[in-house]
Formats: sequence, structure tokens, C-alpha cells
Amino acid sequence: MRMNKMRADVLALLFLLPFLAVYGLFTIWPMVKGVQMTFYKWTLIKKMKYVGWDNYSKMFHDQEVWAAIWHSAIFVILTTPTMIVLAILLAMIANRKSRLQKLYRSVFFLPSVLSVAVASYLGLFVFQPYNGFVNTLLHLIRLLPENREIFWLTELSLSWIALTLITLWWTVGFNFILYLSAMQDIPDEIVEAAKLDGASDSVIFWKITLPYLTPITKTIAMLQIISSFKVFLQIYIITGGGPLDKTRPIIQLIYQTGFRKNDLGYAATMSYMLFVILLVLSAIQYFINNRKGANA
Amino acid sequence: MKKSYSLSVTALLSVSLMLSACGGNNNNGGNASPADSSAPASSAPASSAAASESAAPADNGGSGEKVNLSFWTLFDGGDGANMQALVDEFNKTHPDIQVKNTKLVWGEYYTKLITAVGNGTGPDVGISHTSRLPDLIDQGVVTSYDDVSQDAGVDWSTFNQNLLNATVVDGEHYAVPIDTHPFIMYYNKKLLKDAGLLGDDGKPAMEQSADGFIKFLDALKAKLPAKTTPFALSNSNDDPYRLWWALYSQLGGNDVVADDLKTAAVDADKGAKAADYIQKLYTNGYIKKNDPDFYKNFQSGTAAIMMTGVWATGTWESTKGLEFGAMPIPKIFDQPATWGDSHTIILPTTKANDPAKRKAAAIFANWIADNGQIWAKAGHIPSKPSVLEKEEFKALPYRSDYASVADTVKFSKPSTKVWQIRDNSSFKFLNEVWAGKMTPADAMAKMQEATQKILNE
Repeated sequence: MRMNKMRADVLALLFLLPFLAVYGLFTIWPMVKGVQMTFYKWTLIKKMKYVGWDNYSKMFHDQEVWAAIWHSAIFVILTTPTMIVLAILLAMIANRKSRLQKLYRSVFFLPSVLSVAVASYLGLFVFQPYNGFVNTLLHLIRLLPENREIFWLTELSLSWIALTLITLWWTVGFNFILYLSAMQDIPDEIVEAAKLDGASDSVIFWKITLPYLTPITKTIAMLQIISSFKVFLQIYIITGGGPLDKTRPIIQLIYQTGFRKNDLGYAATMSYMLFVILLVLSAIQYFINNRKGANA
Repeated sequence: MKKSYSLSVTALLSVSLMLSACGGNNNNGGNASPADSSAPASSAPASSAAASESAAPADNGGSGEKVNLSFWTLFDGGDGANMQALVDEFNKTHPDIQVKNTKLVWGEYYTKLITAVGNGTGPDVGISHTSRLPDLIDQGVVTSYDDVSQDAGVDWSTFNQNLLNATVVDGEHYAVPIDTHPFIMYYNKKLLKDAGLLGDDGKPAMEQSADGFIKFLDALKAKLPAKTTPFALSNSNDDPYRLWWALYSQLGGNDVVADDLKTAAVDADKGAKAADYIQKLYTNGYIKKNDPDFYKNFQSGTAAIMMTGVWATGTWESTKGLEFGAMPIPKIFDQPATWGDSHTIILPTTKANDPAKRKAAAIFANWIADNGQIWAKAGHIPSKPSVLEKEEFKALPYRSDYASVADTVKFSKPSTKVWQIRDNSSFKFLNEVWAGKMTPADAMAKMQEATQKILNE
């Protein structure tokens, strides 16, 4: 009996080995190496120099780092709630019995198949002044006088709005599918029974649909916060972090420090700070979810 | 039904994970690179074979043994085709030396070069901008030509000394400059003519002074048809910065770094005067506000003048129906000066540092400089004055109109932080000035502070 179990374990390990080897070499080892880098002045090719905790103390006093973390946080705050509301709305539209059901599903999901570069350049063209889609549309419906332009990408608050809208459009499809499948899982009998009892649509939504969506909402919120905190490419392409570096997220600062300034040690230090932040956020969320989960 | 949904959800999940993993685009947009001219691929190496052979040193590599060189470049579009034509021509005329040209993407070129040299897989010959040299030298990526230049027949006195001096660091030659690509002015002849501002010599009728240029723009603004831009220029980063650098240097400003390369030295008065002049070009409506694509604006004939690097010449030439002219940046202040950089050929550090290869590489680099008339097709100014006298160069239109600029290009000082200062200080604060959100004087103070911070790091 015990022999059998051990044999099974060894066998399992054997099957896992190819994966573990690759995983260890390309994920675990670089992570360990990354920790080592934070204690060095490390460039791409020069001999590195041990600097102890210097990178850390520098980071805690570096205004640019804190500003960049704050910008990433702004992005999280802007995109997470809007994403959830928008995804639920779209899922409800697509879930209604209608001849356009299939069309809705594909249209809402379609942007998600684009790569970040394509989505960002589309966003750039849509929001650019003079011949961009948004300004042209505003001119057409006379909301904007002919001789005036809105500079979406160079005014700070407007550029946050533009970045949020582009990101929502590009990534909502995935969350929309998650919500849609959760809505499909709501038992028809319950809805039917409620209807027979004369419940209005809004009552059904608030008392039945929404409670059923709670678990998936928690998951989506967590995934959304983590992925929003890691935002980089769409901002890098669309505003480049400007104006005055006021939309520059932390990943962009890490990238610039590492590969433009050639200061990999300091960049690694910032990466680990971001790692810790994400870890703490996930832990908080995990505990909240578990406590509430116990009640439900 | 439900089962199929969860299946499709899983499928979508995996697909989108895959998709999100493949977004590694480092394009920083705009016309940042002098390597982006998009002239059609001109493949024929022209009829220059005969002329170039006589210019090449008679002794090819010395030992008679065949030397293979790997050559990394960062050119695409017209530049890429011209460089390939040069390499092919060189290989044909030098049976002892065979050069293999590997084209890399400009945005990733320097990172790849530095890492490859670092782990010993770098090329035998490479390209570097003059402004990148100090950093590459500091990192030990490039080696000096001084041990091989004499054997290879490189005569440093045949180069334009202004371009050459910018590549000499601590008295050693680290690069063979093959061109300069300065910031110049282009004008639309048709629009200028219609506005009555084109002189009989085909050049803009403009007095070269601070007031003269403004008067010229005022006249343009008054006479041009509606929706036409007097002056096409981007509203941020490279090109307005280059204009600022030109005017700052015209006023006698001498870089933003002192000669010791350790202290920030922004000349606040001159810098603010230049920035103030340019800011007014924006606020007075000569330059279209937040123009999304000023290249296209000029290219489609809706802008009277524009300023950018000479690499645009090839693009304008291949644009149907665009009647344009090229000239140096007007002398707005005290002395003629402009922004510029050079492409140079470097000898990266290799594992063996094989003398035979190094000599062959030096012969190659010198030959490319000698045949600048092919390279000039994309718009660049050749690095050897003798090339300017060649018939093939003279036959190219426009180039001779601005070739004189090579003497007045104000290069940046050999600081290892040139690019960092530009990207993280100068661009940043000057952009705010152009947007009217910061006064020129404030910007200079902030630039001084930020430059010093970068130099201290």
C-alpha cells in the first residue's frame, strides 16, 4: 500500500519534471536572481557593484517612484468599478432573448482579440484632434463648435478619461463573457417563479441576478485590480506617460530605469516593491472573500 | 447549452491569456528616429562602381586571406535599401572582405548591441549615432580605431572636421562618421508662390532675423487659404526641441552640460529667450495646435513650411505633386547653428579583437564614407567634403542647398547622459512651454535642476 503510494508519487514527479525544470529555470531562478539584483548597482554589461540597501533607501525617498505608483493606483480606481458596471450592463443586453443576441455577443467581445498595440493605436486615432473620430463626431452633432478642438491626449484629466475609455473598450469583452456565463447559470425556475409572483424586472435584477453574480464579481474585481496595477503598454503608446510624466505608471518607470537608464538594480528593486503591493492587495482580497464566503 | 458556454469561456480565457502575452511593442511614436525615411526601396547601386573603385584603397585586407565581417545596422526604409546597396557594392569590389549586413529595428538596436557585445556575440562592425558614442565607450562596447586606422588607409583629415571632432573622445578616434543629419527647413514652393513669398531664386523671400521670420509667418498666415498651416511642427518632443537647440546655439548657448560633463549648465537667459520665441510661434497660431501628424500635414501640401531632419528629403521627393525646397534653419539670432547628429561606423568590442578583422572593418568604414553619394540619396549630408564635389552628388537635387550646414551643426558634448537628459529633462519641461503651461524661465530653472540630478546619478 505505502509502496504503491510512493511509486505513484515518484511517477507523478517524473511527469511533472519537464514542466518543473522549465518553470524553475525561467520563473523561479530569475525571481531569485532578481532579489540579488536589488542589492547591486547592475547594468547590462558592466561589472556590478554591491551596494547593500542603497537601492531600497533611495526608493523610499524617490518622489518619482511614489508618483508613478499613485498614477497606477489612479488607473485602478478609474477602471475597476467602471469595468464591472459596464461588463454587467453588456452581459444583460446580450442575455436578453433577441434576434440580435449573437451579434451582441460577438460585437462586445471582438475588441478583446486585438493586441495592445493595435488597440492603443486605434485609440490614438479615435481621440486625436482635427481628424479623430470623437472630435469629428462632436463637430457633426454640433456639440463642439467648428473652430474648437478638444485635446484629449494632452490635457491631464482628459487623457485619463481617454485612457480609461480605450482600456474599457479593449478589455471589457473578457469580463463580459464571464458575467454572461454566470447569468446563464442562474436557474430559470427562480426567475420564472419570481415573474409568476409578479416581481418587476428591477426587483428580479436586484434580488436575483445581482446576488447570483457576487462570486464572479469578486473574482473579476481581483483580476481587474491586479491587471490594472500592471498597466503599461497602452499608456506608453497613447500618452507616453505625459503630460509632465503625470500619467506615467510604475511599470513604465521600471522599464525606463532598467532599459533606458541602464540601471537594472534599481529597476529590480521597484519591481519587488510592486510585487509586494500586489501580494498585499491579493491577501486582503483573499481574506475578505473568505470571511464573506463563510456567511453566504 | 450551459456546458458549451463554460467550454467556450475556457477557450476564450486561454486565447486572451495568449493574446495579452504578445504585446511587446516598444514604439515610442512620433518621428523620433532619423532612420524612418520611407522612400521607396531604390535597389540599383547606381553607376558609381567605377568612381568608387578608384577611391577604395588598393590593398584589400592585406594578407590576401578572406575576411568575413558581420555588420549590424539600424536602418529601414530608404536608408536600409541604400545601406544594402553600399554593402553589395563593397562586397563586389573587395573580394577579400565580405560584409554581411544584419538589419535590426531602430527602437531596440542599442539595447541589443550592448547586451550582445556584453556576452560576446556582438558584431564586428556596427552603427552608432555620435550622441550615443560616449555612453557606449563608457560601457566598454566600442573600441578605438587608432591601432588600425593607419594600416587601413583611413585619413582623418579627409573628413569634415566638425563632424569628426564630435566623435573624438579623449583624443582617440572611436568612430568613422558617414554623414550628418541636421535639422533643416523645408518649404512648399507652390504655397509660397501663391502667397507671393517666393523669391525669383526659388527661395523664400524672408529676412533672416528674429523679426524677419515672424513677419514672414505673419504674411503667410494672412495670405494662405483657410485651413492651411503656415508652419508645420509637432507640439512635443523631438522636433520643437531641435528647434530650441538650434536657436539656443544661435544665441551662443553651449549645451546644457558644462565642459567637465558633471555640472548642469543651462544658460537660463539664452535658453529662455529661445524658448520664448518658439512659444510665441505656438500661441500666435503659426503652428497648428497639437497637430497629430505634421509630416503628413506638409506632405499633403497643406502647410507652407516645416522643420525636421534631412532624412525627410527622400520622403518628399517620392511624394507626387509636392513642389518643395530645402534650406538651412534661418539665422534667427546671432550666429548660424542647428541641431544635428551623425551616423557613424564603430568597431564593437569582440572576444578576439582580431587585428585582421579590425583592419578590414576600418577599410569598410572608410569606403562607406568615401561613397557618401549613395548614402546621400536618403537626404543625409556626406561626411567627406570630397564627396560633395562628386558629380553623382551634385546631380542629386536639394542636397547641395543644405550641405553647408555640416559646418554649423552644434553637436552635444560627449556626456554619457546625453539621451537621458534629453528624454527626461529637456523634452519634459519644454513640452510644457509649448503647451503654454509653463513659463520659459521656469522651464530653464527646472531643466537645470533635473539635468543636475541626472548627472549626479
